Amino acid sequence: MGQFSLSAELQDSGFICLAGRNGSGKTTLLRAIAGLLPVDDGYIRIDGVDVTRLPAEKRGAVMVTSNSFFPHLDVDSHITWGARLKRIKPDEGKVSKVKAELGIDFGGPVRNLSLGMRVRVALATALIASPKMILADEAFSNLHERDDFIASYRRLVCAAGVDLIFSTHDETDGRLAEHLYVIDNGTTIRQ
Amino acid sequence: MNWLRFISLATVVLLLVPIVILLYYGLGPFRTPAGYTLDVFRSIELSLFSSGLAAAVDIVMFTPLAYYLARDKDPLAEALVDIPVGIPHPIIGVALLILDSPLTPTGRFLSSLGINFFNTILGLVVALVIMSAPIYVKSMQPYFESRDSSAEDFAMGLGASRTKTLFSVVLPDSLKGVASASLIAMSRALGEFGSISIIAFYVLQYPFYGVSPASVTIFQLFSGAVPGGLNAAVTASSAMILVALPITLIGHFIRRR
Repeated sequence: MGQFSLSAELQDSGFICLAGRNGSGKTTLLRAIAGLLPVDDGYIRIDGVDVTRLPAEKRGAVMVTSNSFFPHLDVDSHITWGARLKRIKPDEGKVSKVKAELGIDFGGPVRNLSLGMRVRVALATALIASPKMILADEAFSNLHERDDFIASYRRLVCAAGVDLIFSTHDETDGRLAEHLYVIDNGTTIRQ
Repeated sequence: MNWLRFISLATVVLLLVPIVILLYYGLGPFRTPAGYTLDVFRSIELSLFSSGLAAAVDIVMFTPLAYYLARDKDPLAEALVDIPVGIPHPIIGVALLILDSPLTPTGRFLSSLGINFFNTILGLVVALVIMSAPIYVKSMQPYFESRDSSAEDFAMGLGASRTKTLFSVVLPDSLKGVASASLIAMSRALGEFGSISIIAFYVLQYPFYGVSPASVTIFQLFSGAVPGGLNAAVTASSAMILVALPITLIGHFIRRR
């Protein structure tokens, strides 16, 4: 991976916090899991399936950042976009519940929303699409009432049986997760 | 004094001097009714029509290529795209003529499908597509490159293929870039002469029967092939510039906004 060497091992499930300073390799690791960066060596398994050579769209791992939004869609079409893509008819009850839990009580084109609102919509979109894994790359960082939001999202994600890794530069965020991993210089991860 | 700014603007002015002088003479001392006859306006109409059509074809056929080059960094494909504009333009006209000739198997095959390039609107548009598509691609590519890829990564994570991501996520959010690049490509097509003077010196098809593209008409006026002489050529050139200039400027203006 160019000048950056990442040697990470993370075998776990549930709601996972990945903490590390800027440049420690958090994003690189998440991108490698998502299939957005090729890995030189090793393997990536999701739900026991080796996805190391699979393209991003076939891994069932969705990466969410603060820019993960489709500006031309309105909120409701956005939230169901991934599900409709998989030809899954979105369950209206589930959509309403997710919207309520995540405080999405607004509508209109996503391009007109604030950054925090967009992230909420993106995280809801990821969840409704029923992926195997959600990779939230600093997606929670700029949210209003962040801890409460993470707790709500954790409940929804766990209820849906989806694994999640969220990256943060603050190690104390580990209290919000089931497991904490710390990454440093792209070389070590410890629990 | 900011010398870099001074030198830069001076070189831009140098580039524009011939055009400004042409506009001055064409709209002033040399102006003659022979330069804005119905034939001249029909020529400009044909050029606008065929260039607009070529730009539309550029959008439909070459947007995926521009996106591929922006995201996949394929140096070979990138070099190949530049070939048509890197060789003398009349060669493209000759190449199309050979491709379409009844003397070659390809020409006989195309003919069996009812496809004919010589002096047809199709031939004119094909030549203009070949000459303008590289400009379109090279204009769209940096636009795509400058886009944050997070939305695309998100779409692929949700299960969208690369093609689906392009058409459902990238393009709806790139209309400004597409409009700008296609107008710049269209203005390039409007200025084409070398290839079309060979493959479609004039068009023998309705609704432009007997009409030549504007650049060819201006050349004919200049060379004395049709009555009018130099003054008519200069006048017609000015008219053509007045039509083409806004297209180029709007193309750039859209992108800057």
